[in-house]
Amino acid sequence: MNSCSDSVNVLRYLDNALTGKELEIFGAHLQNCPTCRVRVEEERALSSVLHRSRPLYQAPEEVRSQVSEILKQHSAAGSAVGIYERPLTLLQPSLRNRWLRLPIRDVCVATVLAVGFCLILAPTVVRRVHAASYVETAVGVHRSYLEGSLAPEIQSDSPTLVSVWFAGKVPFDFRLPAARDNNPLYRLAGARLVSYRGQNAALVIYETQSKKISLLVASTKSATIAGGDEVRSGNLLFHYFSRDKFQVITWSNHGLAYALVSSVLVSGRESCLVCHQNLADRDAYRRRP
Amino acid sequence: MTLDVYEEMQDTTLSCYIDGLFGYAMILTRNPTEAADLVQETYVRALKAKKSLRPSSNVKSWLFTILRNIWLNQLRHKRSAPQIVELEAHESMADVAIATSKDPHAQYVSKVEQKRVRNAIQQLTAESREIIVLREYEGLSYQEIAAMLDCPAGTVMSRLARARAKLRMLLSVDEQSSQQSESDKAKRRFQ
Repeated sequence: MNSCSDSVNVLRYLDNALTGKELEIFGAHLQNCPTCRVRVEEERALSSVLHRSRPLYQAPEEVRSQVSEILKQHSAAGSAVGIYERPLTLLQPSLRNRWLRLPIRDVCVATVLAVGFCLILAPTVVRRVHAASYVETAVGVHRSYLEGSLAPEIQSDSPTLVSVWFAGKVPFDFRLPAARDNNPLYRLAGARLVSYRGQNAALVIYETQSKKISLLVASTKSATIAGGDEVRSGNLLFHYFSRDKFQVITWSNHGLAYALVSSVLVSGRESCLVCHQNLADRDAYRRRP
Repeated sequence: MTLDVYEEMQDTTLSCYIDGLFGYAMILTRNPTEAADLVQETYVRALKAKKSLRPSSNVKSWLFTILRNIWLNQLRHKRSAPQIVELEAHESMADVAIATSKDPHAQYVSKVEQKRVRNAIQQLTAESREIIVLREYEGLSYQEIAAMLDCPAGTVMSRLARARAKLRMLLSVDEQSSQQSESDKAKRRFQ
């Protein structure tokens, strides 16, 4: 410890890492050793120079935008953390501070009441939150596709080819129906995998002459369908939502959850008519008086 | 040093480490193109692997470890082929950096000093450069650096002491030579 050649101790001293007996001995040594005092000052001066030169490098704008794109894609592809829990995380600090100011008894009463409410409302609330998150995910994915950051992994207008491509890639049996109309208003353009709540989901892209439509398909084990403007058609219950400039329609069938997103400028219910106006089920989508 | 991993793994927070990661990548590769690729690859891998992160983990050192592992893998693939050094190119990019609220003279002084320090650091051995950046610029603890480099904390401390001694010498030589050049210029002006 008393050795003047021990540079490590000088660094530990400057880092405030020396404590107790070690610090006492080193301090006593410093008082009697001008060489070590000079060394301490030199090290301190060097630290100061290094500190002033921060940051040593700054990432170029190009790298920043590429990383930002990677993060955006990841969020859009259904990071469960981002969609469900971010609002809760943001609330945490303020909630924590408020709890600290309340008397214990009030806290207990509030806790009991909150638990009671939760027991009554939790299933509905959780279901709504999950359903909303599926809608938000579908919109986020659609937006990323429109912006070009989620390109199709297969480009084909053949439902069979796309169905074969998905085989083994998604944790459910997924087959696209064959085209029923010889002159459809929309055509299949391609597909890709996305991740939703840790599981692979299917994103199918359709195109009209001027618009793009995306269909997100996930297992109902991970995706919940609920809320919105509900319309029953046959055995299916459709849920319509408007999000920004997008119309979203969700439904579930045979264990799969579907979310169709488009920017067709009509109400959610009427947006189905754009493609179904020549089909037998068109009346189901007309606005009722 | 251990922070709330959940909070840190938010995408917006992850992007806070981009300058540090790029600086570390520059120190390892000394090549801005390779450094940029390394940073991007680090984010891609980190996002894929973030579920495996333990709550007690330090996200920052985890990201730096990922970057280092990618770089080591790349080195293995290259089978220690000679590295392309593009220090000229990176100067222009990196110099855009610094100063925000400083006055023009302070900005100039700060920029000159930063360049001087950067040049001195780039003259160190790879091992010394790495330890200086991780400790002095990124503020990682000796234990975190030891875990990253897979060596005892004592080794980290003695490497750091050696690296600092060398760096001090390089900076002092550089300062002397710049003072000499200023004095020569002054002499010429009076002659």
